[in-house]
Amino acid sequence: MFRIGKYDFNYSRRVFMEKAAKGTAGAGVLCSSWPLIAQGASIKKAYPDELISIEMQTKGKVKVGDIISKDNVQYVKHLCDPFLYRQITEQGRKIKIRATTLDVTEKMYSRPFWEATMRGQAAGGAKFDADGNLITVGGKKWTGGSPFPDPKTALEATINLTLAWGRADMTQYAVRETEINAAGDIDYRYDFSWMELMVQSRTDGQVLRNQNDLLRQQVVWFTSTEDVAGTSFLSTWYYDQRKMPDLYGYLPQFRRVRQFPANQRFEPLVPGATWFLTDAWAAGDPMLTWGDYKVVEIRPALMAAGGNWKGKRPNWEKGRHGGPKGNTFFDTEFELAPEVMVVEAKPTGFPRAPAGFKRMWIDLRNSMYCADIRYDRNGKEWVNFETGSGQLTDGDLTLYYEGTKDPIWSWNYVLSADIQTGRMTQIEHAEKVAGGIKNRWNVPAEEVYDKYFTQKAVASFGKI
Amino acid sequence: MKAAINRFSAWVVNHAMIMWVIMAAFTLFFAIGLRTVDIRTVFSDLLPKDDPYVKVFSDHPNFGNPLTMTVMVKRKDGKIYNSETLKKIWNLTRDIDLAPGVDHDTIISITTEKARYAEATPLGVNMQPVMGDRVPTTPEELEDLRRRIEQSPNAKTFLVSRDESAAVIQATFLESKVDWGKAFAFVQNLVEKARDKDHEVYLAGQPALIGWVYKLRAQIGWIFIATFCALTVVLALYMRNFGGTVTPVICSVVAGIWGFGLAGWIRSPIEPLLLVVPVLLVARTFSHCVQYSERYYEILAHVRNKKKAVEICMSVMMVPSVFGIITDFLGITLIAMAPIPAMERFALFAGWWAIAIIPNGVILISLLLLALPTPKNIDKLVGQDTGLHGAIRNWLLALAKITYGKPAFLTAGFFAVLAVAATYLAIQIKIGNPVEGSNVLFPDSEYNMAVKAINRNFPGVNTLEIVIEAKPGAGQKWRVARSEEASFVRTKLQALIESSEHPPRATLSFTDYMMEGNRLFSGGSPKWLPLDPDPQAVNAAGTSVTMGSNPKNFANVSDYAFQNSTVSLWYADNKQETVDNALATAKKAVDAVGVDHKDFTVRLGTGLIALQQSMNNVTERFHYRILGALSLVIVILASLVYRSVIGGLLLIIPVLLSNFLLFAAMNIVGVGLDINSLMVAAVAVGVGIDYDIYLLSRICEEYHAHDGDWKRTIAASLSTTGKAILFTATVVLVGLTPWYFMSDLKFMSDMSILLLILVTINMIMALVVLPLLVWFIKPKFATRTDLIVGESYDLSDFTAKGSEIDSMMAKV
Repeated sequence: MFRIGKYDFNYSRRVFMEKAAKGTAGAGVLCSSWPLIAQGASIKKAYPDELISIEMQTKGKVKVGDIISKDNVQYVKHLCDPFLYRQITEQGRKIKIRATTLDVTEKMYSRPFWEATMRGQAAGGAKFDADGNLITVGGKKWTGGSPFPDPKTALEATINLTLAWGRADMTQYAVRETEINAAGDIDYRYDFSWMELMVQSRTDGQVLRNQNDLLRQQVVWFTSTEDVAGTSFLSTWYYDQRKMPDLYGYLPQFRRVRQFPANQRFEPLVPGATWFLTDAWAAGDPMLTWGDYKVVEIRPALMAAGGNWKGKRPNWEKGRHGGPKGNTFFDTEFELAPEVMVVEAKPTGFPRAPAGFKRMWIDLRNSMYCADIRYDRNGKEWVNFETGSGQLTDGDLTLYYEGTKDPIWSWNYVLSADIQTGRMTQIEHAEKVAGGIKNRWNVPAEEVYDKYFTQKAVASFGKI
Repeated sequence: MKAAINRFSAWVVNHAMIMWVIMAAFTLFFAIGLRTVDIRTVFSDLLPKDDPYVKVFSDHPNFGNPLTMTVMVKRKDGKIYNSETLKKIWNLTRDIDLAPGVDHDTIISITTEKARYAEATPLGVNMQPVMGDRVPTTPEELEDLRRRIEQSPNAKTFLVSRDESAAVIQATFLESKVDWGKAFAFVQNLVEKARDKDHEVYLAGQPALIGWVYKLRAQIGWIFIATFCALTVVLALYMRNFGGTVTPVICSVVAGIWGFGLAGWIRSPIEPLLLVVPVLLVARTFSHCVQYSERYYEILAHVRNKKKAVEICMSVMMVPSVFGIITDFLGITLIAMAPIPAMERFALFAGWWAIAIIPNGVILISLLLLALPTPKNIDKLVGQDTGLHGAIRNWLLALAKITYGKPAFLTAGFFAVLAVAATYLAIQIKIGNPVEGSNVLFPDSEYNMAVKAINRNFPGVNTLEIVIEAKPGAGQKWRVARSEEASFVRTKLQALIESSEHPPRATLSFTDYMMEGNRLFSGGSPKWLPLDPDPQAVNAAGTSVTMGSNPKNFANVSDYAFQNSTVSLWYADNKQETVDNALATAKKAVDAVGVDHKDFTVRLGTGLIALQQSMNNVTERFHYRILGALSLVIVILASLVYRSVIGGLLLIIPVLLSNFLLFAAMNIVGVGLDINSLMVAAVAVGVGIDYDIYLLSRICEEYHAHDGDWKRTIAASLSTTGKAILFTATVVLVGLTPWYFMSDLKFMSDMSILLLILVTINMIMALVVLPLLVWFIKPKFATRTDLIVGESYDLSDFTAKGSEIDSMMAKV
């Protein structure tokens, strides 16, 4: 039964077009969705049925639980990003359709990050200063959480991503990365730990060690294969979004730190990877090193916004399918996101960038991206850093932050597809990887800072 | 047999409408196939697939940079270290990134971040791009850039010339994505715009070569049209009647539709470089049709009944026509003995086209002759001794006189000496015909000039690659290319070859990068260049240069997964002597380090030097084999047709002599035998022998008409069929000449001139040597009356009368 009978299928489209053009309204079609989210209510009231029900959207052709393949993708073609559509039609990718998440507050945020977000909003929210950096309305540096939970502009949507990559004060992920070539063969497989430590903009409001100029420390520590084990990188991010992070690499055999060029953002960290530093979290570079931000469109889209954590499977490993050898894609679930902002930006701070622009497909329910498409300078699609995220819940199994009953929210997987060379990088969030690396969240900073997040620390990873 | 041919001829004439329908249906079928005709060059298909070097190339196609375009910017009046030149390099580098199908990860020049220098710092190493985010402008900045490039061994050797007057930009293309024509047009446009009074800008590399060939494809089409028009004009001038002109044109077009149509239906790409052969086939169709029409007119002049004349003509001409076409077919298809995929495909395409000439040159022509109005100038064409035709006839009768009687001994002596000398010189011909750059284009072509310029300023394009090939399953712990053993084998190979009698001008392997990484991470002193003989230390050196880098940055020395690697050796030129020395030295070095190792095999080799040798090898292996097989098949076929082995030998001797004469001439002027000339030789055997077939068949017919008088037989044959031979050879020459003068593709031009020469020699041999041999041998088979050539009719009715010949001979 139609709930809002007076709104036809084109009504939402017209609203979205108007919002994209004016850039002033917040999320929501029938009413603003943010007040509902802020109250912990369902966003159902904010959208007509066809934006929250895949069955309504496709006029009954696709239902929750259906598998989308090249045989039925035509019914959801208008909801796919360009990579997803081509992968389904040309490479045998399949996705499972899940129900749209309506309980955004509980399911699409982590409790600590949500609370910090609400505190920030209660204090008046955020704005940009004359330099384009983020500050509170009181003129101070941002204190944590999402600064613009109801983003209205491209910059607001982007800073949400850049400022809080993992949406936690400290994270350590166990990661397995597999590089698959165009023939479907595996060229490289790496295990590593990806660690982030927020120096400020933390959910606890602290500024670690009074380092007011820093935003975060971030470490990548390879533990396998043997030829790269012990190799590590330390990236120090500045709060000033005009300033490039410092990047150091460490090779244990030489006991030497190598400083990389600050502007080397379009090279992979390790041989074989299709993603560059610039791609990480769809916001791998400080926000103001890119420019010409604009909202390309606002639209409904299929997003991997939940259901992609396979905690019941050994080492959380996902099934694979598609591609020449049946191993190119993870088995993934997508849901109809009612309102997605497609934001475009250009690498204006990189005179030699091989990229022309990028487009981030940002889910306005929680300001998280799913597709992050890098285009070449001819405007041709190049790489999509597709990221699936959501709570670590698999049926009746849920992982909680230590000592709480708050479900962990995290990224679940990344499929970084280079559509020009046919290469695929699969990045899997594993339970543990070589070297005994496991996942950790929000460990007190003083426990980990000196142990992992300094040049001296990274030099100790590879003691052999 | 004879009865069958007669019955068939009569049936065709009496059921012309049915035959029209059948021919139209086939033509329509093949015309539909034209929609999917694909004319393109697949360069790797021009290589012999069973050659060991080509096998290495096929297994490791990325070594030797086959997909890389190289642009060189040269400052005419000084060094590159000025903002104007550097800006040009910067802009070209950025603009090439916009080329369609380019692999963005592979673009490198001194203006990209990939060209880095390194400095040791107290904590370790600081690696930075040699150029910052903008082009330096002040003298201090320019000097600083120069210093940084000096500190970057890779940039210093491969990106900036030794005299600092030139720099290169390299971009690799994605084979699966690129349209070579578009990519080349894009980059060539950039190059042309970048040239000015102070700068020379060159473009080279295999993709540029492909681009040039694609660009010249349009020219091929125009020359094809010009050729066709020229042929038609010559034909019209010769025939001076509508039917005689239109018939060959229609038959050629229809045969062409059949030929291209099949290639379209089976989706087999046609190699544009070999399109001279279809031109030859068009000319051959013209020739067959002229031979056929002339004979028809002769018969028509006698029988004065069009239907009967067509029927008789088909009966008389079917066997020599079919036999002649089959030899064309054999000449084309036996090229496929050389295991070169492009030639195999081409043999199918052109061979089928040749076969298609049979129904068109026998049936369609008969239908056309039947349908078209009777020419009014038949008498002029067949018997008058005035005008051009008369002059030709008189000249041929004069020529005939040196082939019999006493002059024959003198002529025979001359040709015997010529044959011995030609054979002696021909068997000494050198294999290989190297040019700097590509043999496809002329030495002074823009592409080859670019290759020369780049070779002068940089290590260049003449590489020999020795591949260190990982064994299946190897590299589980340490990637083979970064393993201790592979690293030391590469080093040893480089050391042995560099210290040899014939050292290359530069060598490079992944070990060089590893050593540089080792030096830098160990503090910067050159004493840390050598790698410790320890698996972990060697692997660490590999990791030091690959972390934070794209494997494509090392694609010239290692594969993407760092399993297979190569030792690249650069040579100053690709002269045969250099190639021989390079391969001998490399072979010795490979033997010294051993071929088989625990995790890998050392394979020699690929790169331009090895691939050039592979072409020489295939020429050497197959040139006698193809010519031998072709000769044997023709002798067997001719023996069957003439029911005598002597018949076969009579046909093959003039043709082989022609080939030996060509090879001898090539040897004298210093041109080596290569795959082009081999192909020409084979095709020309098939074409050249047609003249002998027609003449010998005519001799068999005339023998009876002249009561066994050999002199009159030869004179009559030469004055009739000889005239047609002269004309048809002229047609072929007219067809080929535009290709020599108009084509910017040396490959085509070479083929056309070689064919031109060979067809001319063949014609002379047919007109002189064949009658000479007949005069001396006086073959018995010619005296038989049951031959399938010209059988079953009282040929005396439409052969020249003895008295006519006598009177004509007396006049000349």
